[in-house]
Amino acid sequence: MSLRVQYARPLNVDQTVALLGELSSGAVIIAGGQELMPFINYGRVSPSVLVDISGLKDLQNIETSDDGLSIGALTVHRDIQINPLINEIAPLLAHAALQIGGGRQVHNQGTIGGNIVAMHPLYDIIPALLVLDAEIEITSQQGSRIVSMADLINESNHKMGTHAVLTRVLIGNSPAGQGWGYEKLKITDGCYGSANAAATVCLAEDGQVQSVRLAIGAVTEKILNLSEDLATFLPASPDADLDSRIAGIVESAVEQPLSDQQGHGEYRRAMAGVVARKAFHQALDMARQDMALRERM
Amino acid sequence: MSEIHEILEETAFLQCKVNGVSFEEEIHPSMSLLDLLREELKLTGTHMGCMTGHCGACTVSVDGRIIKSCITPAASVQRKKVITIEGLAGADDSLHPVQEAFCEASGFQCGYCAPGMVFSTVELLNEHPDPSDAQIRKALTGNLCRCTGYQSIVRSVRQAANQKTASGDHSE
Ligand SMILES: Cc1cc2nc3c(=O)[nH]c(=O)nc-3n(C[C@H](O)[C@H](O)[C@H](O)COP(=O)(O)OP(=O)(O)OC[C@H]3O[C@@H](n4cnc5c(N)ncnc54)[C@H](O)[C@@H]3O)c2cc1C
Ligand code: FES
Ligand code: FES
Repeated sequence: MSLRVQYARPLNVDQTVALLGELSSGAVIIAGGQELMPFINYGRVSPSVLVDISGLKDLQNIETSDDGLSIGALTVHRDIQINPLINEIAPLLAHAALQIGGGRQVHNQGTIGGNIVAMHPLYDIIPALLVLDAEIEITSQQGSRIVSMADLINESNHKMGTHAVLTRVLIGNSPAGQGWGYEKLKITDGCYGSANAAATVCLAEDGQVQSVRLAIGAVTEKILNLSEDLATFLPASPDADLDSRIAGIVESAVEQPLSDQQGHGEYRRAMAGVVARKAFHQALDMARQDMALRERM
Repeated sequence: MSEIHEILEETAFLQCKVNGVSFEEEIHPSMSLLDLLREELKLTGTHMGCMTGHCGACTVSVDGRIIKSCITPAASVQRKKVITIEGLAGADDSLHPVQEAFCEASGFQCGYCAPGMVFSTVELLNEHPDPSDAQIRKALTGNLCRCTGYQSIVRSVRQAANQKTASGDHSE
């Protein structure tokens, strides 16, 4: 615990961004604390001002419109897992939230906003949002802007947490018949993955694979968004050739694999290809089942 | 300096209920809920194992959901109801049925992991009164035990579920 910390409990987003805008560096937003508190407890982070947004009700709701879902940044993992709207419109996100480690206690307290802002390679939410083509609403004193998850992972200076607030996660309705998959290679149920993959697949009427979106986490410092790399050889038949192309693209995209408690670099690179193929096949099977159902109707 | 600075405080004002008793005090802004419970309120049944969120020994319930108090800022339980392992027992100090089951099926050895194991079981049985073994194991993932090897803990959860089903009690 650091000795002197100032504290603010703003009443709404406007107050939060006004305060952040006025303060010089050293102010840090705290939401669920699941990422920040371990660092504070061990003195590895010593914010001079803690801006506690955990009570902001307007960031705790989940809404739908014709365009899809809008999820408040303070929605906790447990609510992502069980919310009927999310399970209907973006079941992949609900499933990815179920894969998060740390047990039910962390699911009840960790927020989707904090998970994204942390941009942690081992976390499970961003890969799912990448393949769902999600957008993020970021609010600062200058106003709100919406940026795609794909662009956000390339923004080194998003200023979220210190100068801006992640306010909402926006997910459009999925194309009809889209299948999805998520594969997390982990040693125990409660731990981080050694390689994570999220995928979505759309099939053409003739059964050819029309589009694949794929993201790989836990293997490199930055989560890999490989959807564009895969687009170059689609449409294609869902055969062994496509499988090995996917694994090939994934493994060659892994330039500097992480080496940590979750496994050594070369293992992680090899497993990236394996989880990619598994997630792709889960998505493919689901898209095929959906197509078979529609044909019968 | 603009008005917005006026919301900056040197301490955090916290108003909450702990085991039914009102708490109202200025606290250190980055204090964990665990430190508040153990150091300020002397509720030492909530254990400290890691302060990183990995072991689960510090588990308490906040507004009916379990959390790890070491990585939950105390200031964030503003206007909430906290129940610690001390508050789980009945007013007459009788044990909660889940605690009874753990005693009977030898779910504790040193008891360090007890708060997490017991609270995780309570939350599980509220949702699934008759859980499968897989559901039991999944519900315990946030907790580490150095002593038992987990088999007796899984048996204790099963026993608690059987008692609950037998007594027809599906509520908490
Ligand atoms: C034991 C354990 C295991 C875990 N395992 C996994 C796992 O397997 N997979 C996984 O995905 N995650 C895992 N997590 C991480 C957990 O999911 C995240 O830490 C959590 O979601 C972060 O949310 P929070 O609200 O608690 O963040 P906080 O700790 O409050 O904040 C995290 C960061 O985000 C900033 N921030 C928070 N909210 C906002 C916002 N709305 N706008 C701007 N900035 C903001 C903060 O300033 C801080 O920098 C684990 C955590 C623990 C403790
Ligand atoms: S002391 Fe809180 S999880 Fe270990
Ligand atoms: S009984 Fe000793 S840690 Fe579980």
